[in-house]
Amino acid sequence: MDRVLKRRLKERFGDVLTGPIRQRHDETEMRIAARDVQDVMRALHDDPTFDFRFLSDLAGVDTGSHMQAVYHLWSATTADWLRVVADDLDRARPRVPSVTFLWKGAEWMEREAYDMFGIVFEGNRDLRRIYMPPDYESFPLRKDFYLADDAARSPGAGVRHMEQSHAPHNATADALVRKTNA
Amino acid sequence: MTTDTRRPSADDPRVLLDEEIGVYEQIPPYPPRTEREAEFYTLGDGQMFINMGPQHPSTHGVLRVVLKLDGEKVVDIDPVLGYLHRGVEKLCENADYHQAICYTDPLEYISSLFCEWSPVIAFEKLLDVEVPRRAEYIRVLSAELNRIASHALFMGWFALDLGGLTPILWSFIERDEIVEMLAALTGQRMLFNYFRIGGVNGDLNHEFMSRLGFWMSRATQQIESNLTLLNENELFVRRARGLGTIDSATALRMCMTGPNLRATGLPFDVRRAHPYSIYPELDFDIPTRTEGDVLARYLLRMDEIKQSLRIIDQCLHQMPDGPIMARLPRLLRPRPGRAYAAIEGPRGQYSTYAISDGTDQPFRMRIHDPSFIHLQSVGLLMPGNLVADTMAVMASLDPIMGGVDK
Amino acid sequence: MSRAWGRLTLPGKVVFTLVPLLLVLSVALVIVIAVFGGAMLDILVANVGIVRFLVAVTILLLLAPPSAFIIIYMEMKIIALMNLRLGPDRVGPWGTLLSTVHGLKVLMKEDFTPTGADRIVFTWAPIVVFMASVMGALVIPFAPGLIAQDLNVGLLYFFAVGGLSVVGLLMAGWSSYNKYSLLGGLRSAAQMISYEIPLTLSVVGLLILAGTMSLNTIVENQGPWFTDWYVFQQPLGFVIFFIAATAEANRTPFDLTEADSEIVAGFATEYSGMRFGFFFFAEYINVFIMSALLVTLFLGGWQAPFPFPELHIALDPGSLGIWLLLGIAIVPVVATLVLAAPFYLLRSSTPWWQALIAGFLLFNVLAVGAVLGIAYVNFDFVAGILWFMGKTYAFVFVFVWMRGTLPRIRIDQLMGFAWKWLLPASLVNLFVTAAAIVVVGN
Repeated sequence: MDRVLKRRLKERFGDVLTGPIRQRHDETEMRIAARDVQDVMRALHDDPTFDFRFLSDLAGVDTGSHMQAVYHLWSATTADWLRVVADDLDRARPRVPSVTFLWKGAEWMEREAYDMFGIVFEGNRDLRRIYMPPDYESFPLRKDFYLADDAARSPGAGVRHMEQSHAPHNATADALVRKTNA
Repeated sequence: MTTDTRRPSADDPRVLLDEEIGVYEQIPPYPPRTEREAEFYTLGDGQMFINMGPQHPSTHGVLRVVLKLDGEKVVDIDPVLGYLHRGVEKLCENADYHQAICYTDPLEYISSLFCEWSPVIAFEKLLDVEVPRRAEYIRVLSAELNRIASHALFMGWFALDLGGLTPILWSFIERDEIVEMLAALTGQRMLFNYFRIGGVNGDLNHEFMSRLGFWMSRATQQIESNLTLLNENELFVRRARGLGTIDSATALRMCMTGPNLRATGLPFDVRRAHPYSIYPELDFDIPTRTEGDVLARYLLRMDEIKQSLRIIDQCLHQMPDGPIMARLPRLLRPRPGRAYAAIEGPRGQYSTYAISDGTDQPFRMRIHDPSFIHLQSVGLLMPGNLVADTMAVMASLDPIMGGVDK
Repeated sequence: MSRAWGRLTLPGKVVFTLVPLLLVLSVALVIVIAVFGGAMLDILVANVGIVRFLVAVTILLLLAPPSAFIIIYMEMKIIALMNLRLGPDRVGPWGTLLSTVHGLKVLMKEDFTPTGADRIVFTWAPIVVFMASVMGALVIPFAPGLIAQDLNVGLLYFFAVGGLSVVGLLMAGWSSYNKYSLLGGLRSAAQMISYEIPLTLSVVGLLILAGTMSLNTIVENQGPWFTDWYVFQQPLGFVIFFIAATAEANRTPFDLTEADSEIVAGFATEYSGMRFGFFFFAEYINVFIMSALLVTLFLGGWQAPFPFPELHIALDPGSLGIWLLLGIAIVPVVATLVLAAPFYLLRSSTPWWQALIAGFLLFNVLAVGAVLGIAYVNFDFVAGILWFMGKTYAFVFVFVWMRGTLPRIRIDQLMGFAWKWLLPASLVNLFVTAAAIVVVGN
């Protein structure tokens, strides 16, 4: 745990943080709102005292009540992984600014998060399905993803899955996401 | 005069179909949805598309690449993924913590131990488990063996993509010996499923140690002799030098890690940059090269084999006695929380981001695979090169489709 | 009757049908020959040139698949050994029949034409390629007197016919309705036309030296000692010719037209069955013919590297009379006994019958050796064909060896090499040769 990093982050980004900075093992976690992602990332990347030049990972998360986009950064200035969580994305219309202007390599990771969660990364030039077929309609890693529904429409109809007990998926939300992306 | 609205079938032009054109049957296959797609699927003067894969002799699995060609010159490239997508992340969310590890195993089937390692560390962080030192040593020992096996196979594949038939069979000698060794240790030749949360599955046994000792006594010499097949071959060096060059700033922008990044001159290695396990105690170098081309990536991996041999040697000499598993309950219910673990694999940084909600199943498990990241930089490296080099550049990045498609 | 027929096995049914048919046919044939035989013979004798040509072409066509089989087997086995594998070892002794089985396999496979292909061109392409390869063998002297057509423009004919195969490859590439095939066909056109030039230019120096284009005369000029081979007078030409021949035969490292890691199988992507078999055979026949031409031009063809001492066996077997028969009867028995004696006497545990078998085998080996030796000394063409085949297969081995060792080169390097290095080098070779002839005189 890098206490100094926590203090520095609080000083620099105190006004945009939406939650307390948490630290556990070798990870430091800060939460920001989706609209601040680009500014915070640019500051973390460009500021020589932070110097977070490596984007280690970009993940989408569905907490069940809202969506998150989670970034993991590495810097030589600290012994911790920095986790930046863009919090509280609307489940019906999850939108977050893209970080491809800093890391072009984030493009496919954002595509994957879009493919799996329907999170729309504004500014990504190539935000289309990456794993699932182009005419696929739902987002498989969402917590309300109802596999049986898809299975009925797919060639493998009749495949049963343990997830049948979950809630059926929210068709209106998906339709909204598609409309916003089109 | 009536106009015939029917269109010829793509399979047989003599057959006329009267249904409207479906989403798959248009070329480009569907109306472009993004800026990039519209740009790619617009043909310029004298250009053509060629579809490489998913059934192609050298796409390293089931990758499909759409090439936009001007004669033999590649203008643009669009990799199409998903032919091997198994939804591992979803499967892991529906399995308990022990089961999740064996789902991650077949991700990169060439270097399975690394795919197990990062989730195992992430789960250990969630559970606050201290791993016994002997287990850590065994993990490092077996993983470095797997790294050598992976790099040895890379050499063969790479040569095969450049048209050399022999090196792949020579490199399989090394790989097969290592794989047999690991089979003696773990019980499996390919998908080892050896690492457990809190330790490893079994202790070192006699067969593993005797095979390892015999192999170590001649490994350096054997690998050197294999390398002479390619390293001193003028045809090979001339083709690989200056091809697919990337500089370190661009490599960082592309999120590259591992040998591909180090070949551009940046000594970023998770084992040193963010140490895990017992790597801080071991003495090894991080080889780097500055050219950043295909040849540098190849030579760098061959240098790494030598460093791995050094690490194995030290592990064998420093191996402590003790237990190989931490004491843990059968059913793991970590406190709610989040953990992130990254390790340095033969292809780059493997990492796992696990979220626990207090149940015995991970709430969310994100697997980050270096193959996936590296494959997208093909789009950056290829334009301007020839068709013949597509596979050479792709092979030099060393993607495994199992990892790319998750 | 039908029950008896039903009990017959399949070979039985075939034999049962064929035997009466053959009997009838042979009787008819005898009658036809008895009636028209004289006239037919007259026609054949009157057109002996045409008959000779037809027979030679038929023999070449018949011999082409077996020689391709031999080279395919060589390639499988040698590359396997270089790869530290076993290679074919199941079909026939040491797997020698495997390539024959490959040939049967392509015969039995479905032979389809893809939709959208130009059927006529698609069908003719493999035939053109195959004929272009095989017809090159028409002017190659296999042994003294053993040449299908001793043309006075033999070399020119060879290059002309060899150049036809690029037409076939282009036909295949264009008609297949496949972009990989098209790329392969275009690559082959670019490659073979580029390498045709250094290939031809590299032998012009040799032609100036030899003063003829007849391959038979060129071979006869290179004797009797190996120092008279043209390779020692034209070393640069030899090297250029070898490299260009590799490219002409589409062999590694110049096998870009069918580079499997790049363009699947190039022009042959859409072919199956025996049409693919034609391409396959043509490639290996090309290897053989290029090696044969290399040997003919630069390494003395059928000439032995040193003149064999002239031996004349004065004995005329006809003068022996009845002793000839007696000798044939007695010599094997006596020789077997004599050769068996050491086995029996030197080791007391050897039973007599084993010693006899060993002696008999030894006698057979010696007898075959003696017959071959006599044939070698007495018949020029036996000696010639042995030396010719030995040298040719040595070069076939080199081609196979290169395939096992070298990676492929890139298309721009390939073209650059042809135009920037091989072409100037062959011109230099030509000028140096011409200058040397002017200076030294004939």
